[in-house]
Amino acid sequence: MRYLIRFLSQGAAGSVEHYDKIVDDPTITIGRATDQVLHLKDRRARLQHARIEPRNGDVHISTRAIAGVTVNGRSQRDAKLQHRDVIEVGSNVLTVIEAPSGFDFAMTFELRDDAASDELASQFDSLRLSRTLWSKRRLSWALISIVLVCALLVPAAGLLHPGAADVLRDVPLLPDDGLWLAGPIHNKHAQSSTQCQHCHTEVFSRVKDVACLECHEANRHVGSSSAAALVLGIERCASCHLEHNEPPGLIKRHQGLCADCHASLPADVGLEPATDFLEDHPAFKVSLLQPMTRDDKTLDWTTVRAVLADAGIEDRSNLNFNHQVHLDREGIITPDGRRVIECDECHLPEPGGARMAPITMDEHCSLCHTLTFDPDAPDRTVPHGDPEGVVQVLIEYYSARLLGGGEDSGGRRIRRPGQTLSRTDRDKVAAEAKTTAFKIAGDIFERTACATCHEITRGGESEELPWQVLPVRLTPEFFPKANFSHTDHDTEVSTCVGCHAAESSETTGDILIPNLERCRDCHGSGVARRNDAGQTLSTCIMCHGFHFAEKGSY
Amino acid sequence: MHESIIMYKRYRFLWVALGIIAAAVLAYLLHDPQEPPNGGTGLGYTLGVAGTLLIVWLAWFGVRKRQYSSTQGTVQGWLSAHVYLGVALIVVVLLHAGFQYGMNVHTLALVLLILVVVSGVFGVYVYAKYPTRLSENRQGSGRSDLIDQIEDIDRRSRRIATGLPRGYGELIHSGINRTVAGGSAWAMITGRDNSQVVLPIGDDYTVVANPGQEAALDWLAEQQSRSMDAETASIMAELSALLRNKRKLLERLRQDIRLQAMIEIWLYVHVPLSAGLLAALAAHITTVFIYW
Repeated sequence: MRYLIRFLSQGAAGSVEHYDKIVDDPTITIGRATDQVLHLKDRRARLQHARIEPRNGDVHISTRAIAGVTVNGRSQRDAKLQHRDVIEVGSNVLTVIEAPSGFDFAMTFELRDDAASDELASQFDSLRLSRTLWSKRRLSWALISIVLVCALLVPAAGLLHPGAADVLRDVPLLPDDGLWLAGPIHNKHAQSSTQCQHCHTEVFSRVKDVACLECHEANRHVGSSSAAALVLGIERCASCHLEHNEPPGLIKRHQGLCADCHASLPADVGLEPATDFLEDHPAFKVSLLQPMTRDDKTLDWTTVRAVLADAGIEDRSNLNFNHQVHLDREGIITPDGRRVIECDECHLPEPGGARMAPITMDEHCSLCHTLTFDPDAPDRTVPHGDPEGVVQVLIEYYSARLLGGGEDSGGRRIRRPGQTLSRTDRDKVAAEAKTTAFKIAGDIFERTACATCHEITRGGESEELPWQVLPVRLTPEFFPKANFSHTDHDTEVSTCVGCHAAESSETTGDILIPNLERCRDCHGSGVARRNDAGQTLSTCIMCHGFHFAEKGSY
Repeated sequence: MHESIIMYKRYRFLWVALGIIAAAVLAYLLHDPQEPPNGGTGLGYTLGVAGTLLIVWLAWFGVRKRQYSSTQGTVQGWLSAHVYLGVALIVVVLLHAGFQYGMNVHTLALVLLILVVVSGVFGVYVYAKYPTRLSENRQGSGRSDLIDQIEDIDRRSRRIATGLPRGYGELIHSGINRTVAGGSAWAMITGRDNSQVVLPIGDDYTVVANPGQEAALDWLAEQQSRSMDAETASIMAELSALLRNKRKLLERLRQDIRLQAMIEIWLYVHVPLSAGLLAALAAHITTVFIYW
């Protein structure tokens, strides 16, 4: 198609001037955009407003603009163009004219008089942000809708039906009630459930105790009706056990919880005031296991509480043990030769680290402290912990020897092989063996073996066993009312002898438990600002538990 | 104007804001909630309520500034308070949150709030700096004067073009029609010149980019150099002179559009984000109590 467009304009002195534009395109596009063949500067025109193109041998004008185009005074969407047709788009007027030879289609283009003002305004018609597509109001509503739908309405759909909640949580990118988490779920809880409704059973209602008690034992802990709970104003589990906090912790560690009451308790409670580990803590008290004699003269053990700092207290275990000797840095003589013994060869924490595992003769002492009695028979030993057994073993041993039971160590043989002993001889041998056994037993009990470690009394009731070994028991736990873990203290800065003065202890009576001052070297106050740099923040709950029912009231 | 909202009544609202900040910080330091500080402690709720009231009051500024007959203080005073209390709000809200953050609706509200305040502070900066630049650029005349001048040049160019061969007419008319300023928000902010012109090259017409009227001027210069005829040459020279003047005016117009857009654009962030913040705040308060 070859189009002729004749632009008409008012020249000087009212003359009409024109210039022609020849278009060799199948289509003439008309619109406000700068890429249009017929570029209109009229706000009323769309960017791509209309197109003129041949169809079935005729020429048509068509538009998708809502306003359409006006053809011969009638608004049209699609019109066949004929000679003298007048097309109007805003103030722009196109008139179809006779096509000169060499052209398929021709029209004139002119601006109506009223165009001037529009043209001026439309020359630069979008000079302020308010004229662009952006609108504060539109953006505001968009953002409000997005936030409410994604953060509130869609996750809230999960409240209507548990299945819906699962779908929301499972399908990636769908917002679920995880968006409402005020803080992370504690590890311990996350292991059992990450579903909000597990604890938040009712919406717009605080978490109820029954939700906690579903998993946690009820009677183990302070009840809401206990005296402490009433004084502290504890109404429900979550009064103290708070979820979704950072740093995570389900236990209220704040020492105000304790200090408020423990600043001054009634006298009948019998507790000294304690409000802060660094500044206001009573002297450490230890529980010592001590022997006692009952009214019926039998021996028993009792636990006494003693102030650790008192000079007079001693550990009465009935054992003689010298730490200094055993920890000699030069080493001590063992069956494997001279070597240095380390603390953890005897003292090992129990699994969990709360207490130390018990020390036994068999496991920890017998390697060096062998219970041999005859240098000629280094394999023969007497049993430990069984005084009667000791005498019995010795009598049997010496009887056998006197009877020539294979002994070849130069002992006097009183029986020839094949000879049967007379009754008199047998009694004589028995008496002699017993005499020897008692003599050796005396050595073992009073000098060589037992007496090394044990308290031995002589002159017991029984003539068969004149020695009595006082029973030994070691205090299992010096601080039963505090939580202490050796495992937690197994660090580079804390060695065994750093806290326990074992290297200089010569008697068993020494209590090698560190005192308050030693703990305070590392452990500071429960209030951060009272601490020096490097001191560990130590609230009451770090060592003490809270009013557990089974531990009694503290 | 900008100084007066900052110094309004001898910094009255600066002192109010500092008082609010000091009270909140002091309360935060002295309060011992027996748990990590968070929005659910006694002080947390107090700061939360205070923050909510502040947010609603600050948002109410959008209403108050349109109430031309209101005698509840001056809009200037309201704006001064709006600025200072808005900044103080950040402290109140951070302390309310106890500096706990997460990927959740609560932190969404916090982030939106910070963005709103930061965009507002940018707005104060823009209001302090840009009006001066704007009037310096306009050199005493308004935007419509600039446009009038450009239109005048266009009219003169068209008049000259009528006496010239068709190619010149096409150049002048298309150059005028296809000169653009403003347009999209991006074009306004960057001040890019997307103008085009139709050049008669050989027997054909080609649309080429015409930033700074450069292409049209080059074409005219080329025609001028080829012209033997003194009269034509002088017409060319006049057209070129007109186009160069137009180019200067267009540069100033685009700068005017750009500065005006900068003055306004922060509000396109500040206002919608404020609306989003109100929605997030509603979601925050609702959801906190759904799972109490």
